[in-house]
Amino acid sequence: MWLDDELVGEELALFEAWVLGQPEHLAAREETRRWRSMIASALPASEEPPYPDFFNTRIAQAIRDQTPKATVAPEKRRFSWQAILMPLAACAGMVLAFWVGTKSQPKVEIDVAGAPRAIPVEQIIYTPESGVKAELIASQDASAMVIVLDGVRAIPDSTDFSETTYVPVGREFDSTASVETAISDLEAP
Amino acid sequence: MNKSNGEPSKIVQGPVGSIDSDNSMDDPDDDFRLVALAQKGDLKSYDALVTRHRGRIFAMIRNMIHQEADAWDLSQEVFIKAWNALPRFEAKARFSTWLYRIAHNVVYDWTRKRKIESAGELNDEIFERERIDSASFTTPSGGESPDTSMSLGELRMKIQVALNKLSAEHREVVLLKDVQGLSYKEIAEAMDSTLGTVMSRLFYARQKLQTLLKDEYESR
Repeated sequence: MWLDDELVGEELALFEAWVLGQPEHLAAREETRRWRSMIASALPASEEPPYPDFFNTRIAQAIRDQTPKATVAPEKRRFSWQAILMPLAACAGMVLAFWVGTKSQPKVEIDVAGAPRAIPVEQIIYTPESGVKAELIASQDASAMVIVLDGVRAIPDSTDFSETTYVPVGREFDSTASVETAISDLEAP
Repeated sequence: MNKSNGEPSKIVQGPVGSIDSDNSMDDPDDDFRLVALAQKGDLKSYDALVTRHRGRIFAMIRNMIHQEADAWDLSQEVFIKAWNALPRFEAKARFSTWLYRIAHNVVYDWTRKRKIESAGELNDEIFERERIDSASFTTPSGGESPDTSMSLGELRMKIQVALNKLSAEHREVVLLKDVQGLSYKEIAEAMDSTLGTVMSRLFYARQKLQTLLKDEYESR
């Protein structure tokens, strides 16, 4: 401790008196002082951190962030008859208003005899071609309906139905068809 | 927050001999007054305490880990932890000694975490490195002549290289004693060890450093 100048008071005085006759101890102390002086001259004991103001601000912010915010305790609800009676009174009022409403409205009598009635109408089947007679046969039991056309000319065998139907050409084919079918369709004249 | 470089730092030299120390910023009575106010929740007083001590804590941590950006973050962590522990602070020790104790824990936790993270990777053990990081201080301070400044910059570099060769405990004891000027008792408190351990560590650390810095040391 004496080497590092940590002795004080009476201890220091006693030791100093003794060490006067010990040159190697005195030299060691000087050596230690020289050493500490060299280290202290090269390495700073204090060095302001970069952006010192920001340094402080960040610490203050961190402290504020971790401080629990004062929460307002929910006010304890006291039991009150008013809290129960008010909804009951509201419900009773609504029922009463409904009842009064039904009692105050005049009764409307519906005259069933004077109401318009459905008139049975014969079914008419329209045919665009004159001379053709159409007859409708409907069977509820069979859940079927047949229309018989009398007077329609016979359809000749030479009639080309393809003229009345749409046949896709070129690339207009179903994308789900197989590749072979699609190619054969394209190759067909 | 990672900062690689910043404003020029205000340097206060060590506490030894003719070297000026920053005693005005380290008045324990002022510290206790501010601590008492801060313990009542006065953030302004705590901000004043941060301003008074940030330089020493930053320098200490920076000299321990040799990384400015991490030292910046860790120094803040020290002050945040100190705020949280402030209600438990008793005026038995100086506030600065108490801060060094927190800094000691923060640095060792950080080092332990680094060891775990780098386990199985390259052996980049921070305390065993023999190189100086690129952000290390080499710029001369304003009050010195260019020759002296250059010489001190070189010396600092050499000392830092030598310090890196010491164990963490040896390096810390040298920094606390020879740079920060703490007493043996305060160092024991900061490092949570006995007076005998501190003296022993200091003796061996100085011996090793003197061997490593033989040329520099003998030329002065």
